[in-house]
Amino acid sequence: MSDTIREADARVDLALIARWQRGDERAATELVERHAPALARFAVTQGVRDGADELVQDTFVRAFSSLHSFRADSSLRTWLFTILKRLVLDRQRAERRGPQQVELEERHAVQEFNALDGLVADEAMLRVRNAVAHLSPLQREVFTLRVMEGLPYTEIAQVVGSTEGACRVHYHNAMRAIKEYLSDD
Amino acid sequence: MTDCPNGEMRDLLPEYAHGVLGAEDTARVAAHVAACDDCRAELALIGRVRESVTLGVPRTNVAAIVGALPAPRAASGKPALYASPRRDVAWKTWQYAAAAGLVLAVGSGVVWQRTSVGTGARFADSSQVRTSPAPAETTHATAPLTPEDGITFGGGLSDLSLNDLQALLGQMDSLKTLPSTDPQSVTPVIASNEGGKTL
Repeated sequence: MSDTIREADARVDLALIARWQRGDERAATELVERHAPALARFAVTQGVRDGADELVQDTFVRAFSSLHSFRADSSLRTWLFTILKRLVLDRQRAERRGPQQVELEERHAVQEFNALDGLVADEAMLRVRNAVAHLSPLQREVFTLRVMEGLPYTEIAQVVGSTEGACRVHYHNAMRAIKEYLSDD
Repeated sequence: MTDCPNGEMRDLLPEYAHGVLGAEDTARVAAHVAACDDCRAELALIGRVRESVTLGVPRTNVAAIVGALPAPRAASGKPALYASPRRDVAWKTWQYAAAAGLVLAVGSGVVWQRTSVGTGARFADSSQVRTSPAPAETTHATAPLTPEDGITFGGGLSDLSLNDLQALLGQMDSLKTLPSTDPQSVTPVIASNEGGKTL
């Protein structure tokens, strides 16, 4: 995304935030409509099988409750993804500490991601989903944010807590791994 | 499927797929993809990934999300940027504490006043007790005070009957001298070995 388009996108978000803070609730609707689908996609690709919509809702509630701390150093979108990532991690930790303790390994995340495969009738689509599911968690985060949302490496680095260069490497490794998976399958 | 050696072009493919590149970059990538089989295949793979992942994602209920959001602070005229819900809670807590303090202060004042009135009545009652064994001619005993009479902390001339006052005046007239109310003059004395020396 060119900087001009990114800046324009960020300005729209800031204008909507300002409208909401002045009491315009329709601005909140527009903000949710702009970002909720991407957040839901991200949650699902991170292994959230049930309650992805709840996590997205919690993300918005937390974000709107602390908009006073949003200084626009990063884009609203990046901030929302960061909040959601923490919520996903919290939920996964809580599930690990639950009464039925299950070691959450990469394999389990793959299974959760593939649990929706019944909805994917196309064989080729299923193979692509499996390829993404077999990425490491960090590779999957970077790859999803890059391919699904078109985020620049700078924003991805903020979300996953890494550097721009490392994210670039993770993305290209992920792409190579997917190509290999599909060629071997 | 092999990788294109042009890393810059490969890096731009996801953003090209999203249509968010500027005009110049879009033209460059389009020209490269048209001539590069690897990048064309990778671009097609990106499209398939987007499609397959999107298929399994539940639809978000925008209305439910918006309904769960905290309300903006439009009434105060202050933007929510400076009035988070957490600060609202703190402000309300202070308001409750201030209200509780006010009620406590008013209640204490009322209790103190009633206690004082009761004490005054007790003083009045005791004055009545004192005046009860008064001489026979003292028939006009002081009536006990009621709370409506105000606060009285002891008896005085006003508690005496007319006869008492006349008797008191008669006793004063019979006195040859009245005690002086002027302070005594003080003569400074300087102490010395031989004794005090008056200046």
